[in-house]
Amino acid sequence: MKYEEKIVSVLLTAAMATTMLAGCGGNSNTKSDANANSDAAEGSTTADAGSSDAGSSDGEEITLKVFSNLPDRKNGQGLVEQTIIQEYMNENPNVKIEVEALDEEAYKTKFKAYSMEGLPDIVSIWGQPAFLDEVLDAGVLAELNEDDYADYGFVSGSLEGFKKDGKLYGLPRNTDVAGFYYNQKMFEDNGWKVPTTSDELLELAGTIQNAGLFQNGYDSLDYATAQNLFINGQAAMYYMGSWDASMALNEDIEQDIRMNIRVFTMPVVDGGKGTATDIAAWNGGGYGVSESSEHKDEAIKFLNYMYQPDKLSKYGWQNGVGMSAQDQTAYMTGDETELQMQFVDAVNNATSVSGTPINDCGPSAFKTSIESEIQSVSNGSMSVDDFLAAIGSACQ
Amino acid sequence: MEQIGTKKKKKKMSRPVLYVILIIVAIIQIFPLVWLLDFSLASSSEMFTNGLLILPKKIQWGNYVKAFVDGNFLWYLKNSILINGLAVLLVIIVSIMSAFACRRMRWKLSTFVKTLLLMGLMIPIHATLLPNYKIYSQLGMTDTIWALLIPYVAFSLPQGLFLMTSFMESIPVELEEAAVMDGCGIYRILFQIITPMLKSSIATVAIMTFLNNWNEFMMASTYLSSDKWKTLPFSVLEFTGEYSSNYAVQFAVMALTAAPAVIVYILLNKHITKGVAMGAVKG
Repeated sequence: MKYEEKIVSVLLTAAMATTMLAGCGGNSNTKSDANANSDAAEGSTTADAGSSDAGSSDGEEITLKVFSNLPDRKNGQGLVEQTIIQEYMNENPNVKIEVEALDEEAYKTKFKAYSMEGLPDIVSIWGQPAFLDEVLDAGVLAELNEDDYADYGFVSGSLEGFKKDGKLYGLPRNTDVAGFYYNQKMFEDNGWKVPTTSDELLELAGTIQNAGLFQNGYDSLDYATAQNLFINGQAAMYYMGSWDASMALNEDIEQDIRMNIRVFTMPVVDGGKGTATDIAAWNGGGYGVSESSEHKDEAIKFLNYMYQPDKLSKYGWQNGVGMSAQDQTAYMTGDETELQMQFVDAVNNATSVSGTPINDCGPSAFKTSIESEIQSVSNGSMSVDDFLAAIGSACQ
Repeated sequence: MEQIGTKKKKKKMSRPVLYVILIIVAIIQIFPLVWLLDFSLASSSEMFTNGLLILPKKIQWGNYVKAFVDGNFLWYLKNSILINGLAVLLVIIVSIMSAFACRRMRWKLSTFVKTLLLMGLMIPIHATLLPNYKIYSQLGMTDTIWALLIPYVAFSLPQGLFLMTSFMESIPVELEEAAVMDGCGIYRILFQIITPMLKSSIATVAIMTFLNNWNEFMMASTYLSSDKWKTLPFSVLEFTGEYSSNYAVQFAVMALTAAPAVIVYILLNKHITKGVAMGAVKG
């Protein structure tokens, strides 16, 4: 039995050693805490200092939790979001905002987990039935007062995606427009013209393919690869949303290519009903407030702060992260890239706007199903008739 | 048994052929690491060129600086080492003890308990994700070290138990009988007689547990919300934008993340070979 004691003491020593090692690890990297990201998530010391300030409500200490789908806080949209959060905390010293950020799939999984036990105060949402219907049925988002936003300059119709039974549950952040990016210099060098009909587009695609400026394999490339083929000058065209308009500002892309990126929207089908100014555009991502939030009013106040026209819209435009869902004309600097202006023109001249793409209009199972059917029909492994039949059954 | 078999085969095969095959396998195994290092030193715009490897115009050490500073690397590394270290330790202790209990001790439900534990092999992690979250949330355990430690141990335990029991079978019962004759208690038999002979399987279980959990992200992202216990895979995420990502820095982070795993593997791999050799003589 004596031996047992020895063993126990050995194990205890081992456990203690581990803890001590861990302790050392902790000490040696307190420095890394200094960066902005962990600042936002660390203890509430900064807010303590000036809580006497009359900045907001009654000076009560409040911690708001923001759950965001923008993990990169130092670039693009994530930077814009973080900047506004910092400004808000500076103006309201009693409010502390903690950010938790995950990207797409991890975000949606965790969102489901949170919906069971109460969402953080402010969350990123998508104004698309595929995502939002289930969320609203669960009743986890707080209702917003639409009248509050009358003078926020939201583009007409942009709030529709965030409504259910006429009640508003979220606000859109961006306007997304789908378009064909093309390399203008490449087009000029080869004497190609921007197509105005779908037949011309197909013909052009054939020509480009012969010139070797075309991807190999339609369904084997992911987003990043396709984008990189285009920005490295190995592809002549690239079909993507307006969020990629920041390519024209990206210093990492060679100037020769960067300055020559232009865009055109989907050309018309010969003999079809559409016109060239019918564009594919929708308001995708946005924010909502948790129904179960302890500080619902404060959260809505922050939400409204973000959507003041000179916050999200202005900073977003300045950082070239795409168009907001609000009127941005006031923030045009005159230094916009031609690419940005092309998108603005496309939206301003639009005679009709598609709204949410069809794959995001049903429940999530429908989205999965229709997206794989579309892939099959586009790569030729499925006939058009089979495709229509499959879509029909997916609709049920 | 297996080791003897391969030994015989080795003798038959002529050496050059063996070397060629081994070199090819080694290249296939090592290439991804070389590729990772190569890309981590290039700039984002140099990626997606046609070549397999890229020759960076300028070696971008800045990627690593960014990974350390902006990626919160050291903090996450500390969490990863702590959580993984504890998980490995717990898995080894529990799997040795339960393997001994289910294999060598006679009690009514021993086979049932063993089967029950081994059934854990069949449960996919994703199926437990949301239910576990609910439990943790009710118990107030989200965002604590336990939220990760418990599932990491639980999901590695069946594998560990499986290996330990099969290794333990190869240890002759007579050894234990002799120990009992000499007056050993049960814990002394287990930790002084049995455990030293399980060295190779302990190394195997340690490697498997460590590698399994080192890159785990799904559970970590669901159960944790503040930076306090976040592990290394989160470091990659710091450079993931909504529509575009800083790939070069992500490569640097991944190279840094892979390094400890490679080191652990190299260290313990020796023990495996040693253990196997010892086993061969003993068998």
